[in-house]
Amino acid sequence: MKMSHNSSAKDDQASGSKKPISLPISRVRLIMKSSPDVSSINQDALFLTTKATELFVQHLALSSFNNGSGKETNTLSYSDLANTAQEADTFHFLTDILPKKILAQDYLNSLEQMQEEEGADY
Amino acid sequence: MASSSGNDDDLTIPRAAINKMIKETLPNVRVANDARELVVNCCTEFIHLISSEANDICNKSEKKTISPEHVINALESLGFASYITEVKDVLQECKTVALKRRKASSRLENLGIPEEELLRQQQELFAKARQQQAELAQQEWLQMQQAAQQAQMAAASATAAQQAGSSQDEDEEDDI
Repeated sequence: MKMSHNSSAKDDQASGSKKPISLPISRVRLIMKSSPDVSSINQDALFLTTKATELFVQHLALSSFNNGSGKETNTLSYSDLANTAQEADTFHFLTDILPKKILAQDYLNSLEQMQEEEGADY
Repeated sequence: MASSSGNDDDLTIPRAAINKMIKETLPNVRVANDARELVVNCCTEFIHLISSEANDICNKSEKKTISPEHVINALESLGFASYITEVKDVLQECKTVALKRRKASSRLENLGIPEEELLRQQQELFAKARQQQAELAQQEWLQMQQAAQQAQMAAASATAAQQAGSSQDEDEEDDI
């Protein structure tokens, strides 16, 4: 169920969004309230946060695409996003939710290392 | 995809809304499904980030409710100052829209009359209606009474006339 406090989505067909905010404000409120310790949020503060989230999506998508490897092929991949999170300061907070994609070779290396260390104990 | 889970942490922005935004931002770009899913989760993470920071700022200010000011300061301190101008503009727009909507609905429904006055007028109308009904009931009762009385009188005079007639006969006989 999509809940939106704004007018219907029929408005923004081709000409781009005429509404100030496209994301569902009620959902943003729910997510905010699920943060520990957050009690009450002023309605205007909610508007600001919702719009900021929209800008964030645009920012993340654009940055990842522009810095990514998919520009020639016109694609945006998971690793483009992951790389941007690692490299850009502002997006660094996202590394928390990114499982680190370990290269197979790195894994084997660290495995070897562990075995060597264990061997040294005997 | 509806989030039917009761777990707070599963709350995310609806996938369709994110897809639409990605499409508007990167038109004609193919975006992998796992990338889209990641963006959805990044949104949630961002909201938590801003909320926590704004909440900290709010607590320090000894206010109980997170205000727009707290959010703006949070954006600034987290490195998203570039968003501030635009979010402020949007806030202004939202307020204007809300104000227009409130004015329009009050114009239509209330004709500019405040709620207290409307309530008072309503009570007045009710009282008047009750009074009118009471008066009407009383009138009907009076009419019924009058009708009954008249009926009684008519009946009484009819009987009286009858009796008068028969007693006259008796008198005549006695005189002879």
